[in-house]
Amino acid sequence: MNYPVWDVSFGSGLLIAIISVVHVFVSHFAVGGGLFLVLTERKAYKENNSQLVGWLKTHSKFFVLLTVVFGAITGVGIWFTIALVNPSATSALIHAFVWGWAIEWVFFFLEITAALLYLYGWKRLDKQTHIWIGWIYFLTAFLSMVVINGIITFMLTSGNWVESKNFWDGFFNPTYWPSLFIRFAFSLSLAGLYALITISRIKDSVFKSFVAKWSLKWVLPSFILLPIFAYWYVANIPVELFQSTNGLMATATQYATLISIFALITFLLALVYYFFTSKINLLFSLLILITAFVTMWSFEFIRESIRKPYVIANYMYGNSIYTESSDFDQGFSIEKINENGILNTAKWTSIKKIKKENSIQAGEEIFRVECLSCHTYDAYRGVRNRLIDRGWDKNITSQMISRIEHMQKGIMPPFAGFESERESLSDYLHNNISQSELSAFKSGKGLFDKYCQVCHQYSSDDPVFFVLTGADREEVEYYLTDLQGMNDLMPNLVPNSKEIEIMMDWFPKQFINQN
Amino acid sequence: MDIQTIIPSVDPISLPAPYWLFKLLLIVTFVLHIIAMNIVFGGSIIAYVAKLKGKTNDNFKKLYSDLAKKLPTFLAATITLGVAPLLFLQVIYGQYFYTSSAIIGWPWFLVIILLIIAYYGFYIIAFKGSENNKYLGWILLLSSFCIVLIGFIYSNNLTLMSTPQFWSQKYFRDPTGMNLNLNEYTLIPRYLHFVTAAIAVGGLFVAILGVFKWGTEKDYAKFLINFGGKWFTYATMLQFVVGILYLIILPKEQMMTFMGENIFATVSFLVALTAALGSIFIIFSSTKNEDPRKGIYIGTSLLVLVLVFMSIMRDSLRDSYLSEYFNPDLFLTATQWDVLGIFLFLFLGGIALWIFMLKVYFRKPNFN
Repeated sequence: MNYPVWDVSFGSGLLIAIISVVHVFVSHFAVGGGLFLVLTERKAYKENNSQLVGWLKTHSKFFVLLTVVFGAITGVGIWFTIALVNPSATSALIHAFVWGWAIEWVFFFLEITAALLYLYGWKRLDKQTHIWIGWIYFLTAFLSMVVINGIITFMLTSGNWVESKNFWDGFFNPTYWPSLFIRFAFSLSLAGLYALITISRIKDSVFKSFVAKWSLKWVLPSFILLPIFAYWYVANIPVELFQSTNGLMATATQYATLISIFALITFLLALVYYFFTSKINLLFSLLILITAFVTMWSFEFIRESIRKPYVIANYMYGNSIYTESSDFDQGFSIEKINENGILNTAKWTSIKKIKKENSIQAGEEIFRVECLSCHTYDAYRGVRNRLIDRGWDKNITSQMISRIEHMQKGIMPPFAGFESERESLSDYLHNNISQSELSAFKSGKGLFDKYCQVCHQYSSDDPVFFVLTGADREEVEYYLTDLQGMNDLMPNLVPNSKEIEIMMDWFPKQFINQN
Repeated sequence: MDIQTIIPSVDPISLPAPYWLFKLLLIVTFVLHIIAMNIVFGGSIIAYVAKLKGKTNDNFKKLYSDLAKKLPTFLAATITLGVAPLLFLQVIYGQYFYTSSAIIGWPWFLVIILLIIAYYGFYIIAFKGSENNKYLGWILLLSSFCIVLIGFIYSNNLTLMSTPQFWSQKYFRDPTGMNLNLNEYTLIPRYLHFVTAAIAVGGLFVAILGVFKWGTEKDYAKFLINFGGKWFTYATMLQFVVGILYLIILPKEQMMTFMGENIFATVSFLVALTAALGSIFIIFSSTKNEDPRKGIYIGTSLLVLVLVFMSIMRDSLRDSYLSEYFNPDLFLTATQWDVLGIFLFLFLGGIALWIFMLKVYFRKPNFN
């Protein structure tokens, strides 16, 4: 609304996802790996194991080259990317938490310095001082996680901040602690998993087994604790958000399944490796890193998906419209946009008034300011294919958009703007779709998928079947021809008579033995 | 399209400290960032020259390897010190900065990729610098090129940020972010102004290396001071041409900022100019002295002064460009004293810890 929308052809959301996921997989290693380095070094000195010190020198070089370069720059990269893709939300996070960011910067600066001194210090520092530098590294890396965790969790569970605008209300929000425990436990397990890469190159098999066993001891307990922390985390997420993982939203559900499977595989692989340490080679270590990567990736994707429709829960929608109208919303709230129109409100639209000849172009601009933050037209989360698959024509599309906030239990923000603007949006969406491309449905289930499935589930406890199972044909017809009369939350859909006929036969028979 | 209506509104969340504090932090951290950046930028170019000359001359060979070892560390410093000014910039100038960034979205995003390439390139050079490998020269050149390009993209973004009148034509012509700010006629002089400064500071850095080597390798140290001093002197003399060209090419209103219209900016300009002249004179004459160390110290202090005042000028220039659109009085302020206090405490404590760590690291090795 306030800023120009950067139109990334393959999807700006995907760009953020890629850069964030690769970053977290390294940045968590940077935290847990720090503790791993100091405790392993202490162990080496205690046991007078010079071979272990030798391996640590190699491993710490790998550690620094990965975390200080790739980890740090992709971290800055996330910041660059979110500022490009969602400036309003970035600005809100910056303004609400400037001093948090500034504190994190202090830790970041110390962390990078300590990492370099630790690496170069093998040659010039005495053992005691070297370990000390290692501790400073770990503590500052951990503390930067402590800070950033407050801001990330705030986006999902903004707590009382929305009312109070108090720093601490936002920072210590409901998912702060469980998230910190999950991230820290995961970072410890990554310390052990990444170590396998440098371990796989050790020639001496007795020593290799020794280091591998020590490293895998960092993985196994963390993976036992992670489900407990995950349960605690989920318990603090508002129920209506977490429902998304339960079949209502494809992405969230998919990743909820993936995370359970891949966490288990990673745990089992680590267990197997523990008993066959001498067999660990580069391929095996990469394999377990990949399974761990999918686990982490799923975690971040679940968090991102269940946060929808918000970018900052209860404050700002993904398309940077404010959820509530207030004196400070600058006109960018749903309520005010509905009064003034989206084209008049959004600063970065060239068309302000819709005419017949510019309707499609206006629709494209509306798509850009209201939809592009999550969707593309025909790439990542592409809308075109969804319309075709569901068989929605221009009219159905427009009606569905009018109640879009109820789709899949509310994972999308409401459409903001005039009815004419909604029509323009549908014009644009259908400009490149011919009627013949739309899927045609002739079965009852097909029509259910076409008209109902975006909000209702094919399940006997869904209100639709609660009402229509076992109903008379006329009763079904009565409801289907006046959806809004039954419930104003429904879109004003008008199936044709043939479709109604099919559904009149189909609905009453579903789940008949259960209801 | 009306420019005022297209400029994004100020974020409705109040500033968590007074405006002047952000401005102060922005300028202070920017100066630190620019010093580290100059050393990497200038240092990598000088390292490449030394690499070429090192085929026949041992001093150059040594200089190349000394610089190569330090480049990754100074790039790390540039990045970490760059995060802070980028943060404070977003606090008070976000509405301009986010907009110009989005308009040049892809080049701006490219900075991250270029940085990763440059960084790993520098590390390869640092770890394998002494090896006789013909690819190393190319890798160094590639890394330097990435740094040169990053600087250029920054100049594009920061000039575009200050000129909202050009935003809409660029954005609506191409909303996919494939833009630069090449039609801004002050872009090239401004960029050259920064490049020349970076080369000068890189030269001075070589001379400072000489000062540190004075006690142990006097001949090599003299070579460094002479060679670095020359780079510094010639580049800074050239800077007088480039800088003045940049000044006179500025729109009249902006030029007048430094010509009496804004007393603060004018005084900064005069101080910077005098200090720059002083540093050229002192450093150039000290390279002829038997013991040039004192001259290098004084010249360096003067140059830091130049950088501080030039950074203040840079800020005044931005405010002059934005004067029609930007009014700091519009910011609502609700200072978060508690968090601010924690930050200041950690900031000062962090500096102390940082100095302590470096002190411990650089004291004589003492193996137990």
